[in-house]
This record gives sequence, C-alpha cells and structure tokens, in this order.
Amino acid sequence: MIDRGTPRALIGAPIRRVEDHRLLTGRGRYVADVVLPGMLQAAFLRSLHAHARILSVHRAAAQLLPGVTAIATWDDLRDHARPIRAASRMTGYHATDFPPLAADKVRYVGEAIAVVAADTRYAAEDAVDRIGVDYEPLEPVGDPRTAMDDRGPLLHEAIGTNVLLTRAFSQGDVDTAFAGPAVVVGDRFWFHRHAAVAIENRACLADYEAGSGLLTLWSSTQVPGMIREALAEILGIPAHCIRVVAPDVGGGFGMKSALYPEEVTLCALSRRLGRPVKWVGDRREDLMTSTQAWDEQVEAELAVNPDGTIRGLRAKVIADVGAYSVHPWTASIEVIQVISFLPGPYRVPHYRGEAWGVATNKAPMGPYRGVGRPVSTFVMEALLDRAARRLGMDPVAMRRANLIRPEQIPYRSPSGIVWDSANFAETLERACQVAGYETLRADQRRDPSARRLTGVGVATYVELTGVGSAIPASPGADIATGTEGATVRVDPAGTVTAAFGLACHGQGHETSLAQVVAQELGVHLADVRVIHGDTGAGPVGSGTYASRSAVIGGGAAILASRAVREKALLIAAHRLEADVRDLELAGGVASVRGAPDRSLSLREIARCAYGGVKRLPKGMEPGLESTRFYDPYVGTASSATHIAMVEVDLDLCSVAVRRYVVVEDCGRLINPMIVEGQAIGGVAQGLGAALLEEIVYDGGGQLLTGSLMDYLVPSAAEMPTVEVTHLEHPSPSTLGGFKGAGEGGTIGAPGAIANAVADALAPLGIEIVELPITPERLFQLLPRA
Amino acid sequence: MKPPKFDYHAPPTVDEAIALLTRYGGEAKLLAGGQSLVPLLNFRLSRPAALIDLNRIPSLAYIREADGYVRLGAMTRQRTIEFSPVVRRRLPLLAEATAFVGHLPIRTRGTIGGSLAHADPSAEYPTTLTALGGEVVVRGPRGERTLQAGDLFQSYLATALGADEILVEVRFPAMPDGAGFAFEEFSRRHGDFAIVGIAAMVIGQGLSCTAARLATAGAGPLPVRLRGAEEILEREGLSAAAIEAAARRAAQLVDPPSDIHASADYRRNLTRVLTGRALRRAIARMGGA
Amino acid sequence: MSDTVLVRFTVNGQARQGHCEPRKLLVDFLREDLGLTGTHVGCEHGICGACTILIDGEAARSCLMFAVQADGAELGTVEGLMSDGKLHPLQEAFHEHHALQCGFCTPGMLLTALDLLRTNPEPTEAEIREGLAAVLCRCTGYEGIVKAVAAAAGTLRDAAETAPALLRRHPAP
Repeated sequence: MIDRGTPRALIGAPIRRVEDHRLLTGRGRYVADVVLPGMLQAAFLRSLHAHARILSVHRAAAQLLPGVTAIATWDDLRDHARPIRAASRMTGYHATDFPPLAADKVRYVGEAIAVVAADTRYAAEDAVDRIGVDYEPLEPVGDPRTAMDDRGPLLHEAIGTNVLLTRAFSQGDVDTAFAGPAVVVGDRFWFHRHAAVAIENRACLADYEAGSGLLTLWSSTQVPGMIREALAEILGIPAHCIRVVAPDVGGGFGMKSALYPEEVTLCALSRRLGRPVKWVGDRREDLMTSTQAWDEQVEAELAVNPDGTIRGLRAKVIADVGAYSVHPWTASIEVIQVISFLPGPYRVPHYRGEAWGVATNKAPMGPYRGVGRPVSTFVMEALLDRAARRLGMDPVAMRRANLIRPEQIPYRSPSGIVWDSANFAETLERACQVAGYETLRADQRRDPSARRLTGVGVATYVELTGVGSAIPASPGADIATGTEGATVRVDPAGTVTAAFGLACHGQGHETSLAQVVAQELGVHLADVRVIHGDTGAGPVGSGTYASRSAVIGGGAAILASRAVREKALLIAAHRLEADVRDLELAGGVASVRGAPDRSLSLREIARCAYGGVKRLPKGMEPGLESTRFYDPYVGTASSATHIAMVEVDLDLCSVAVRRYVVVEDCGRLINPMIVEGQAIGGVAQGLGAALLEEIVYDGGGQLLTGSLMDYLVPSAAEMPTVEVTHLEHPSPSTLGGFKGAGEGGTIGAPGAIANAVADALAPLGIEIVELPITPERLFQLLPRA
Repeated sequence: MKPPKFDYHAPPTVDEAIALLTRYGGEAKLLAGGQSLVPLLNFRLSRPAALIDLNRIPSLAYIREADGYVRLGAMTRQRTIEFSPVVRRRLPLLAEATAFVGHLPIRTRGTIGGSLAHADPSAEYPTTLTALGGEVVVRGPRGERTLQAGDLFQSYLATALGADEILVEVRFPAMPDGAGFAFEEFSRRHGDFAIVGIAAMVIGQGLSCTAARLATAGAGPLPVRLRGAEEILEREGLSAAAIEAAARRAAQLVDPPSDIHASADYRRNLTRVLTGRALRRAIARMGGA
Repeated sequence: MSDTVLVRFTVNGQARQGHCEPRKLLVDFLREDLGLTGTHVGCEHGICGACTILIDGEAARSCLMFAVQADGAELGTVEGLMSDGKLHPLQEAFHEHHALQCGFCTPGMLLTALDLLRTNPEPTEAEIREGLAAVLCRCTGYEGIVKAVAAAAGTLRDAAETAPALLRRHPAP
C-alpha cells in the first residue's frame, strides 16, 4: 500500500477523503443549513398552466396572513433585475427573455409567478395558497415536431418561431457515400426526457447588506463564478460587490450549472427588503423546474461496406428544449453535442449531422452529465450493432474494424474536434478480457421458449474533456470556460491553503487537489487545505462541470505549487548558504541533499518570506504565495468501453442488469478511488436512463411525473456490481497528463444496456429505439403469449 | 412541501377518538402510521380540519391467537407483523406479503389498520385480507360491526368505513397446517407499489386441490378475488395444465387501469404470469415443504 | 385551541424540548428548533430516505412524522453515532470504502444501515442491497456503500464481545 507519509506518492494514490469526516458526522453545511439573523423564508406561486397569459394576480388575502412580510411579482422586481437572456453569436440561434417572475405570460407548468417572503416556509406556503391568479389559457405546445410549424402556437411571439436554433456539421459527400453498394441500417430513435434528481434540491439564500451595498448569495450551485458574473449584469450591481458561495452541495450533475430564476428573484427581493431571504426548493419544484435533459429524436442512418468499415453516417436530430434557453449554456448545448459527437471514436469519412432545438411548453432543457453524448452513443452504438447483425459480424469485431487507431492521432473528427489520443481499441480489448466476452457469448441463452434470454451489449465512446479556450463549451456563448486559476499560499505558520474557482459537489476536490498541491510543493497532504466554491475566497473561475477540474484546476494547481516551491527553495538556499540546485523540498522540509542536518522547515521559510527584505535574497519581494492560471487551449480525450450483460424476462417484460464492466482511460489519475466512484455513479444514472427514468408530460403540458413515486431513480437493488478497470495513458496535451473524468458512466451505460437488450431480443427480431426500455414498452414490442 | 394547518388531537382511547370524529363531522382524518397520509398532507392534496392521532392508544396494538383466528389490533406495526412468530406460524402468507410493503423504515411506522383503511388497491395488505378471507372490526358511535374484505373495499382509496368509524381490529382465520402459500409481485423497483401482485393459498395434496384462494393487487380499483380461477383448480386439480388454465382465467377476471407505468393489457399479462408463478410456488410449499 | 404544542423527547441521549405547531414535521423540528442539521430533507414524501432517523431504536422517515408525535420518544440522529470522539464502525467503513460523495444521503444511509444490521447481523450482498433500497443515492452507484455495510457487519459482530453498547440489538417481538 501507499506510504502516506511520502509526498512523492500522492498523485495516483487512493487517499481516503478529507471531506468525509464532516459529512459522516452530520456536520456538513448545505444551503438549507445556513441561518442568518433576520432571515425570511420564501415560497413561490407557480403556474398551473403550461401556456397562458397572466391577466391579474390578487395578493390582498395572502398579504394579511400572519408571518408574511412581502409578496412580489415581476412588476415589483423589474426595477431591480432584467430578464435572464442566454446570449450566443451562433448563427441560427434565437435567445429568449426569461423574466425570473413571469411577466405577461407563462410557458411551462411550474414557472414562477410570485414569491412570498415570510417567517417560516410553512407560513409562506399558506400565503401562496391564498394568492389568486387569473389566467387566459393558451394552446400548449408539446410535440417538438408540430412545434416546428410556425403557423401553430408560438411560445415567444417576438422571435416568430419555436425553432430556437439550427446547426449542421458535415464532412465529405455523405449522399454519394450512401449511394452505391453498401449495407445501410437506420431508424428513428427517441431518447426521452430525463432529470438529474440530485438528492439535495436546489436552494439559495440572498443577503443584501444595504449599508455596504454588498450582496452575498449562498447557492447550491456548481458555478459560483458564472452566477456572479451573470448577477452583476442582471441586477445592475457591480461585480466586485457580489459574492457567490457554494457551501457543501448535494450533487449537481450539470443540472446545477445554470443560472436559475430563483437566484435572481431572491437577490432582488433581499435588496428590496433589506433582509436575507432563503429559498429551499422541494422535490415537486425540482421535478417541475430544474433543467431537464437528453430529450432528442434522432433519425440516423449508417452505411457500411461489406467488410464492416463505415462509409457514411447521417442524422437529423430534433431536441425538445423546453420553454426557455438557459443561461449561460443556451438551448443549443445538448443538441449540438449530439451531432458533434455522433461519429464517436470511429473513422467516419462522410458525415452529415443536422440539429434543431425546438421550444415547447416544458421546463427548460439544460446540461446533464454527458450532455448530448449519452444520446449520440446510444444511437451510434445501436447502428453499429445492427450493421454487425446484418453482416453476420460479431459486434466487437465491428468496432475493431472502425475504431480510430493510435497511429491516426491527432485525428480530426467530422465536426472539427481533434482527438489527441486514441486508446479506444485497447479499452475494447481489455473490457472483453475482463468481462470474459467469449465465455459470455458461449453461455448465452438465446432460446425464447425458455422465457428468459440473456444479452451482451458493448458501447465504446470518447468524450472531449478538460476543454480549453480554443473550443467553446457552448458555441457562440460569451462565457470563459477554458481557464481556471489556483492560489497557493503558505502562511507564516507554514500551513498551505490552495484556493480555486472550482465548486466541488461530491467529486472530492478537497482531497484530489490537495494531493496535487502537496506533491508538487513537497509537503504532507495534511498540511494542505483546499478552498473552493466561494468567489470571495479564490481566484476568478467559473466552477465545476464538463469533466474539467482535474485538467484545468489540476493544471493551475501544478503551476502555482511549482512557483511557490521555487521561491521557497530560493529562500532556503539563501538562508542555508547553499546552491539551490543542491536542495530538495519534501515532507515540508527543505534540506541539502546528502546533508539532512542542513535544513529548514517550510514554517521557517515562510517566516523569512513574511519577515522582511533583510531575511530574503537581494531583490526578492516578500510573501510566499502564487496565483497561476491554466488554459489547456484545446481539449483532451477520455474514453472507455462498457460491457453490459442483461437478462430479459419475456413474461414479466423486465430487464435486469446482471454484470457490468467498465474499462476506462482517464489519463493520469490523481485519486483512482474517486475516479472509480465517479464511473460507478455515472453508470447508475445511465442504468436509470436506460430502464427506469422518464419525465412525462401529458398533451396539455401537465407534468405527470411530479414525485419520486413516478420519476424512478435506481436504488441499490437495481444496480449490479460494476467492475472498473483503469488504463492510464497520460494525456499528451495537458499539464499533469490528466484527462478528466466524471461523465463517462452516463455516456456509455444507456447504449451498452440498450445494445444488450437488443442482443437478447435479436432471436425475435426486435430492435430497441426508445429509452427508457420500460416493461410496458417491452410488452408492446414482444409477441403476445 | 409543508402541510396546511390542522387541529391536532391524540386521544388515549378509541371512544374519545370516535367522539372527536363525530365532532368534526367528516372533516377530520385519522392518523395511523402516516406513511400514506403524511405525503398527501405535505403535497397539500389533503386538507383536513383536524388530525386524530391514534398512536397514543396502546390498546390498539396487539397480536392474539385464539379459536383458530389470529387477531391483530389495527395499530399493530407492519414491522411487528414481519417479525412475529405467531404470524409466521399461523399466517405465513401475511408474513411473506409484509416483506413487500415498502422498506423496513416504512414498516417501522406503517400499520395494518392504516393500510386497510387507506385501501390502495396496489398495496399488499388489502389483497392478503381478501385472499385469506379476513375481516375487520369497526367501531363507531353506534357500536361495533364486522366487515368482510369484500364489503370493506368499495373503490379506489374508498372503504365502507363511515366518517365517524374507526377500524380497530383485523381478524384472519389461521391458515390450515400444510397450506401452500405465495405472494408474487412485480414492481418497477424493489419496494415500490405492485404493478400487479397475487396472493395465493392452496390447500390440497399431490395433484388434488381442496381449496384455492387467489386475490390481486394492482389489477383494478379493488383487490379482486379470482374465484373463477380458484374453481378451475378445485375442479381440475393442480396439474401444469390446470395451473395454466387458472392463470389464463385470472387474466380474464380483471379489468385493470392504465397509467404511465403500465397499460391495462400489460397488467392483464402480468396477472396471468404472476398467478401461474404464485400457484407453482404455493403448491411446492404444500404439506409444509 | 392554542397554535403551538410543547414537545419533549431525548435525542442522542440528551433531553430536548421546544414549542411548535402540530403540523411541524419532525425533520424540520430537529433541524430548525434543535439545530441538528445533520438530518436532511430530500423529498417530503417518504421515498428518498435522506431524513431517516432512529425512533426508539428503529429506523423511520422523519419527514413523515410530526414533531408532536415524537413526544416522549428516544430519537437517534447521525450526530449521535460517534461515541467518545470516535467514529462508529459504520462511519469508519463508509470512509474506508468511499461510500459517500456529496454526503447528502449519507445520514439517512448510515441509520438505515444500522437498523438493517441490527435486524440482520449477517446479511448477504443481496440482502444488503434490498435493505439499502430504502435510501436513494445519486452519486455513488451504491458500490462503496454495499462494501462498507458488509465490512461494518463483520466489525460489529467481532465487537459484540467488547462493545455491546454499539449493538443494542433489536428486541425480539
């Protein structure tokens, strides 16, 4: 096992987490736990209609209830805030105006119309009950296909269309590729609407201090830096007067990376009232209003040669982006990633992907773990399996024939993404080995009369991670997602703080980034404290999302730590009258190589650093800290192969996942235990997406899955044991060699499980085109007994 | 999601609880385990003027065996039933059904009386009461009466209990020694409500069947006693063909709902499949196997 | 009748009390009136299990009880799991096996696991998974949690001789 006392061994060690103690003993501090003097509690009046004009709001009766301090609508706040508007220079994109409280119109069930601030949440909800709203119902728009017809009802009249964005990528001549002798497989796939369902509901607490003009917003967010920038513009408060704090956050998964109307409303209300106001969302609000995901219909076709090699791929993707374009990602982020990444880790010489993002009267769509790639992987992996079945090839052989090979790196994909590494085939071979693929096939039960069939499904994917400034996380959006900073500071007592603009919400940054800093600086892990999630306490940054923290945060940590280490050694050399090249810094002690009695502790070095110029080398500035920023410029590529083994009960029409194997390449790992936890957690969400979870609206735009009794997330009993193997091929492009991780589980699992079910049902000629594969859907597909 | 205001009473006796029900004239709700009622209050789907808490009436929780019957006080916790040696010996079908009721923390608070009075047709206890021919004792201002399962459950979430009546006891005839039994259920996840469930008891020997009892969960607004399927077994015995015939008949005897989780056709299919599985398991247990 | 009621019970061995409306949920009373914010609110309809505490030694959802109903009871929350400054074997095992990420479900998961092990001290993996199905976790995929509970089961059995207080077995009904 790793000797934890040896700093050199920290990166790559499965160090147990620093953050565990407070979380295990009930001493975590989530937004709901924060109490400020004079604090009011808020509740929202939310629209009962999916599409309606608001004629009037009657609040007199509610105002009279004991404990109610204030009730506000948009009219009361419009002098303090502007509508949320997600801007993008992308051609073919229309931004929407999203007032944090509805102005004249509501566009989804649950859209906030009024806010009540009261002594308790109980009293606030009593007041909400008493507020009357006169609606003029409008025809709701639920089907994106019909919504594309501009002669029908429009959500945003000023835009003049419900098609908020269109985009296309193409390479080569795909129509010619499909002509001529080729095997063509294709279908219309539907990956239905999903929700992230973090166990902690969204919450925020706004505290505007009138005396100083300072606003502090505590929020269960992944992106405090982005929220701060957005609020400055929306509220008209100078950014340096705004502090956004994400304390302990109970899961985010991308859903907590958007700016939400509640955050704006609470800030404006706190400013008006001169008191802190807190809102803790409940589960009903979460399912109705938190961003939703992955809802795309994909018509796709794959043309292959008789030897299985791909000739061409073309797809039309319609995304149901809901009622508004979320800030800052815009409504485009999901669907563009579907067509950007549809070719996956394969050589696709001719490609055309076209996308439409269509507004409907549903909650807005936003990023959720994997963003577009769970859908693209599901489709591409299904097409490959179908082509394999048509040609009588084993699905693994099909992939072998088409995966981009290491010698083809750097490889430019049809959408312009450049893959900097390609160990895809290795993940495939290794996964087959770990899963015992040959044996799985040999033992497979394929006789439908047995009423239980087994299936094996494979999915290989590549994801762009650690994206630097050259590649926009959301094309055309004016946000800086390509850089992060780190401030590493040694204080006069010799302890180290490392502050970041990241915002951890379960990934263990306090441990993994401490590992990087401790190793690079040359101190014990326990000597480093990581600070994150507070725009008032770290360098400028955006937050934690998009599998970027290890790469960009880790890179900045390396740069800052090295800078501090260098200065510390120069100071030590000066004090010890030694040549700096003869010194080493390990375990918090700088010593002369070969003469350990000639040494200085970091504490002593720090006291010199702050003690004044007399103690320092000539011309050296006092202090012992460094703030450095890192931009990897491009991105790097994490990849994996997933293999799922399922059992389908033809009588119950149920699917059980019996075994699950992941072989992933996330580059150099900082903490393999944390990476493995991320992979397995993602697989669980992917399993849920494939078999259990679906956000369902009825034709009138009413949400039918408004509780956890109807939106079904997997429990421990639905999950198999997940076997994770790491291949560590350091990234050639990033400082530190990290590739990033976090989203792989949801990218690979829906496709692997869908393919496994299709494989099980192949003897019956049944294909899988819709996720989730519910028992009801399976029942409709199977021949009646 | 916080509950609306209500008056709260926790009377120490059943008679005081009845008096309170009468006083509120139908606007009060009884609070037993709370596992079904409190979510409705939190969602503000239920807004009673008062809650009458039965949890402070210790005389309502007991398990007694006498004269071939097992009697359970209405406030007996599901968790107590789960671990009760009397239930395991005399009502093993009820013990097995209990394991399907949610999760252990829900069974810590949930009660048998509450479950029956709530009358969710997807729940396990109404179905088991129906299959075993149980009855409930109900007390009101005018005294006590007894209701058979078939008379208790009227419709979806509706029973024959009057607004001023309290279910005080549940009685089951002890299952005959050597009776085969099984509770089969299909749900989306472990611990969820049944999409369809089947409670089965089979009394017989070898391939002959003296008596069969079959009841459904989730296949309609009430638990359905599958008498037509029972008759096939009682008439034709316990061969594979008879079981198959009984299972097919069962599917014809139900008129299930459709909802976002399952269509009526799929529920009918499940009725057939689960009846077959329940019968096979029950038969294998006959004679104390 | 008056708007509030007096509620008195012991929590983690300490006598506590307060006044609240009868409709105040037990979880809210613990968090707001007693400052015990370790128990979390996730759904308020009894599905997610984040609010699970021990009531008279048995796990139950505190979002489905009113504070007034706990009058006179002995409650156990996550804050009471440590003793003499030492982590409970379950907490140790969760730490060792990476059984938590964001930590929000963790208090509910710990107390549900404790009740599970008291009623079934030698559970199989399937029994652990079924028992833990009472609490939803969105971060871990449950792998680390299952391993932690299995490990803790062993530790608790071994400790039976030396630290009977840790076990306080569920009395046979």
